Amino acid sequence: MSETSAADLKLELEVLLRRAEVAVPADRMDAVLAGYGDLKRLCALLRQPRTAAAEPSNTFSLVTLMKGV
Amino acid sequence: MPATGTTKPLHELSIAEAGAALRAGELTATALAQDALARIAALDGALNSFITVTAERALADADAADAAFKAGIDAGPMQGVPYALKDIYDTAGIRTTCHSKLLVDNVPAADSVVAAKLKAGGGVLLGKLSTHEFALGGPSFDLPFPPARNPWNPEHIPGGSSSGSGAAVAAGLCRMAMGSDTGGSIRGPAAYCGTVGLKPTYGLVSRRGVFPLSYTLDHCGPLSWTVEDSAITMEVIAGHDPLDPASADVPAPDFRSGLDGDVTGLKIALPRHFFGQAEGVSPEVLVAIDNAASLLTKAGAIVEEVAIPDYELFNAVGRVIMFSEAFSIHEKDYRERPLDFGRLTFTRMILGATLSAADLTQAYRLRRELAVAVNHRLLKQYDAILCASALAPAARFDSMSDAFPPNWPIQTMPFNVTGNPAMSMPAGFSASGLPLSVQIVGRPFDEPTVLRVGASLEKALALTGLRPSTATLRQAA
Repeated sequence: MSETSAADLKLELEVLLRRAEVAVPADRMDAVLAGYGDLKRLCALLRQPRTAAAEPSNTFSLVTLMKGV
Repeated sequence: MPATGTTKPLHELSIAEAGAALRAGELTATALAQDALARIAALDGALNSFITVTAERALADADAADAAFKAGIDAGPMQGVPYALKDIYDTAGIRTTCHSKLLVDNVPAADSVVAAKLKAGGGVLLGKLSTHEFALGGPSFDLPFPPARNPWNPEHIPGGSSSGSGAAVAAGLCRMAMGSDTGGSIRGPAAYCGTVGLKPTYGLVSRRGVFPLSYTLDHCGPLSWTVEDSAITMEVIAGHDPLDPASADVPAPDFRSGLDGDVTGLKIALPRHFFGQAEGVSPEVLVAIDNAASLLTKAGAIVEEVAIPDYELFNAVGRVIMFSEAFSIHEKDYRERPLDFGRLTFTRMILGATLSAADLTQAYRLRRELAVAVNHRLLKQYDAILCASALAPAARFDSMSDAFPPNWPIQTMPFNVTGNPAMSMPAGFSASGLPLSVQIVGRPFDEPTVLRVGASLEKALALTGLRPSTATLRQAA
């Protein structure tokens, strides 16, 4: 994935925040932008090579779904 | 300068020692409670570890414990013992604020499961403890209550998010404090404050009635002065809760079975690459870890260097899951009253709004791979892992910034991702007099081995007699 320019990163963040219907005050935007940049870096690490068989199906199980009800 | 003495003051008695004295009739729960309350009054002005001190409740609990002992009733090892709860644990009729403007007037109608168990076990509740806002945003000065401070040097952070828990135990204000741990929030304060902090196996302690940060990463556990005291606490709080969807339906292990500290023949993995070149790692921490490995070897354990997946993979999984789940919990308040969050909470948690469904699913996929790597490959051959907890001593408050990630280096998130039991414990002191720590990790539901290794190290290091000086705190309070 190519590196995003600072301006594009900010634009990307603004679109995502608008989609999420949340607003960031101007004095907090720099901190949020820095966090977003770091989180993008971490999200790229999640994309390790794996096949379709590598699944997290254990997160949904009929055995445990009704627990706590 | 740490204080030592041949006659132990009341506040230095461990849970085990206090329990023995209570049962021998040498001490009353009321005396313990009064001593604790006086100490809080004298010192907590400088530490801010408590948000709410429940003096009347404490004395009532103590009175009930003394009456029970007199009547020959023994509800368990926490009977008569003063403890406190991180202010995210619901307590019936006692405000539970999560250290936030959003919940500053919140008074729950019912106890959390842990609070109820400690009450039924005869414990003495001293109060509710300072925390990072919603267990995430701190240390912050823009919240309804000031942040907790480190008793070893109040100019330094106590770690978080169970900041008040670490500070209160280290300062001898309570014998045990409950914390919660989503990415290190028990182990971080334990590391910085020089206490034991145990994050149990995921699902071993009920989370019901504890305000969530991240459903699949949250763990409830104790901070205490000694390894034994954490084991004793676990006896009372662990166990299946059919109404907690994540509660593990397994018998609780015998937590005290390993406290003889015999590590003969135990195989301990040392993933040096994890922390050896990590950003921000202090040479003093590396020396402390090597010293711990050497002591365990002398005690008969077999310590071997191993390789496990890179720390950054665990960190990526943990951050993506945490921010997704946390933001989903607070999404409505972000839309309706965003400026009621403190600045640090706001700027951190909002990142969950930027993640995609694919990001979260990839995190879950990698989570399983990492859990398999740790549990099905490494811990099939080894009995425990020795690694770093905090990578450096506690930072100064005036070095904190808005920077993300928060600028304190710590390597605790991996074992929230995998759910393994993990304990931070004291391992020495820096040249500046601040605690250093190590982390011990075990197989799922094998807390006894974690505690066994911890007990061995604790005995060899002989640090439990060294306490923060209270002279400075009395002046500042």
